[in-house]
Amino acid sequence: VIAIPVVRPASSTGLRFAVVGNPGSRRVSLFGDAVRAAGLSGPRVVPWTDVLRERGADFAADEIVRVDSPGEDAEVDRVLRGVADPTRVEGSARWYAAFTAALRGLRGGVRLDDPDDLAVLFDKRRCHAVLDQAGIPVPASPTSGPDGAPVRGWDDLRALMREHRMPRVFVKPAHGSSASGVLAVETGGGRVRATTSVELTADGRLHNSLRVRRYEREQDLAVIVDALAPDGLHVERWLPKASQRGRATDLRVVVVAGRATHAVVRTSRWPLTNLHLGGGRGDLDAARRAVEAAGVRWSDVLGVCERAASCFPRTLCVGVDLLPAIDWRRAFVGEVNAFGDLLPGLTGLPGSGAEGLDTYGAQVAAVLRAPARPGPLHPYRTGTPHA
Amino acid sequence: MTIGGHLDSLYRLPAYTFPGPDAGTEDLPEPDAFAWRITADAYGDGEDWTTAFARFCAAVDTTRVRALIVGGWAEAYEMPPSGVIEALLAARERFPALRALFLGDMVMEECEISWINQTDVTPLLAGFPALEEFGVRGGTGLRFPAVSHGALRRLVVETGGLPAEVVRGIGASDLPALEHLDLWLGTPDYGGDSEVADLEPILSGARLPRLRHLALRNSEMQDAVAAAVASAPVVERLEVLDLSMGVLTDEGAGALLGGQPLTHLKKLDLHHHYLSGPFVERVRQTLEPAGVEVDLDRDGAEEDTEDGGRVWRYVAVGE
Repeated sequence: VIAIPVVRPASSTGLRFAVVGNPGSRRVSLFGDAVRAAGLSGPRVVPWTDVLRERGADFAADEIVRVDSPGEDAEVDRVLRGVADPTRVEGSARWYAAFTAALRGLRGGVRLDDPDDLAVLFDKRRCHAVLDQAGIPVPASPTSGPDGAPVRGWDDLRALMREHRMPRVFVKPAHGSSASGVLAVETGGGRVRATTSVELTADGRLHNSLRVRRYEREQDLAVIVDALAPDGLHVERWLPKASQRGRATDLRVVVVAGRATHAVVRTSRWPLTNLHLGGGRGDLDAARRAVEAAGVRWSDVLGVCERAASCFPRTLCVGVDLLPAIDWRRAFVGEVNAFGDLLPGLTGLPGSGAEGLDTYGAQVAAVLRAPARPGPLHPYRTGTPHA
Repeated sequence: MTIGGHLDSLYRLPAYTFPGPDAGTEDLPEPDAFAWRITADAYGDGEDWTTAFARFCAAVDTTRVRALIVGGWAEAYEMPPSGVIEALLAARERFPALRALFLGDMVMEECEISWINQTDVTPLLAGFPALEEFGVRGGTGLRFPAVSHGALRRLVVETGGLPAEVVRGIGASDLPALEHLDLWLGTPDYGGDSEVADLEPILSGARLPRLRHLALRNSEMQDAVAAAVASAPVVERLEVLDLSMGVLTDEGAGALLGGQPLTHLKKLDLHHHYLSGPFVERVRQTLEPAGVEVDLDRDGAEEDTEDGGRVWRYVAVGE
């Protein structure tokens, strides 16, 4: 089954794209490159600053609209989060409210995403529940979904960890991204420790930093968690990840139109593998060999990601963070990222249909090969078998 | 730094992880061809260690098993492996060929080395008198009262902080066959409270006539260890001296080079060090012409300098 996308343009030569993004950002540039590489004229760029100032934007009925990340722009971030200093961790709840409101102001066009999907994808508690209910393997969580336990501060977190017998957890701002505000917390033997990129300054403020650090004093952890909690926190069991050359390992798998097209291995000496925190790219072939040596088919691993993406059928592309278990026999979905396709220069997996294309090219190609179908947007199906 | 990977071998046998309860046991390898790694399920509500071990004993001809690696047990951050040790001792009649045992092969993602709870591990040595290799990871709660063991050739204790009492217990043990001793001394932050004086019985070599490979490493007091080694009687019988992974600076290296000759060694391992360029050269020029293999890989050893000028140096494996 080939994924069924999107749209048939009114005229086959008149296919045109628009992208909501930050002009000049890498994301917008790379997407524009991909559109032009497909022989089309470059996308109309609708700046987030305009969308936010004018409380929306209008698109022509046949315009194919990509919504890209509002991140990495200090002014956009200030408006969304209401915090002047872009390094501050706080403000993600306000960011979420402003972002989802802005999405509702986008009118017309043929969307490559869906406001409701995005609202779930940017709430880790809701996202976890959606995946869990769909039978996708996810780490256990006491904060999953609308019935999840609230975490109002450090005391709540400690109580949840005890109650659920989770001595090691990841604590994530519900609306965070890029490891912002994420803590890997471990307790045991009367000790407690957090590994995080959050920097707690002397005046009690929290900043994102590019350096992973550790806190072992409970009062420091309490200050950090208490400060993060008002924005909403999601808690998951910290499942031991597989390793590659002695470094903790996970995979970022990009799924386009239902199909896993791109994958990178990320490795780190820390439990947080994000590349901007000193994580490195690992060896994808070695990961595949490890999976197969454990008696698991690689296509099943990619299939987990495709099944996760299928929970968001109106969204053309997501980036799935896949956590391989330490024996490589199982894998769990750690996150599904709406804007998880920024992997410059990475070409598609063999057999994925995106060979030779970057993540943006793969998305443009998926739109172009859409069968003729009337109407707005059709769900992206999954279940594509892999050779 | 931390422990990132599981043991890939033990007793020169490649490690093989005994599969979980939902995997088949039809295609298991020959019992004597691998070091069997048996572990509890680390993913929540799975099987505990003793259940996995019972399954292993039912599925494999244990009389041919030569090496066992104990991986993780439930709640290793809170609980010592008492049940593991009891289960192994209760099964000892079924393992007449067992020659190597490692207790606590967990990586950072499972349980940081200094968070692993250990206990008195010497009942395993008493219970398996034919054991030739024994290793243990984790110093918290670890005890090692002096033992006598006539077969043990290799003893490895990996910790982020090795209690002084353990160092003294090993030093007071009677291990006439021991050829290879590897102690990770660690830091006081994680319970490594030994002092150089505690190493004296080891450095004298009086009870270790067969010792050929001595590793006293991963130590915050690596300089002092090196200085003590420089005049230690045991050194003349060594083939390999390993002072790696610790906070070794020019001071310790200078003391080492100023002591007894080391040119009889096959190998001197100093990887993960804080030596200056000139001292690296001095070590090389002193030993390499004599045919000593010297490992001077910096291996990620990095100093942090505070604003006030204070310099922090770290052992390779702490946490």
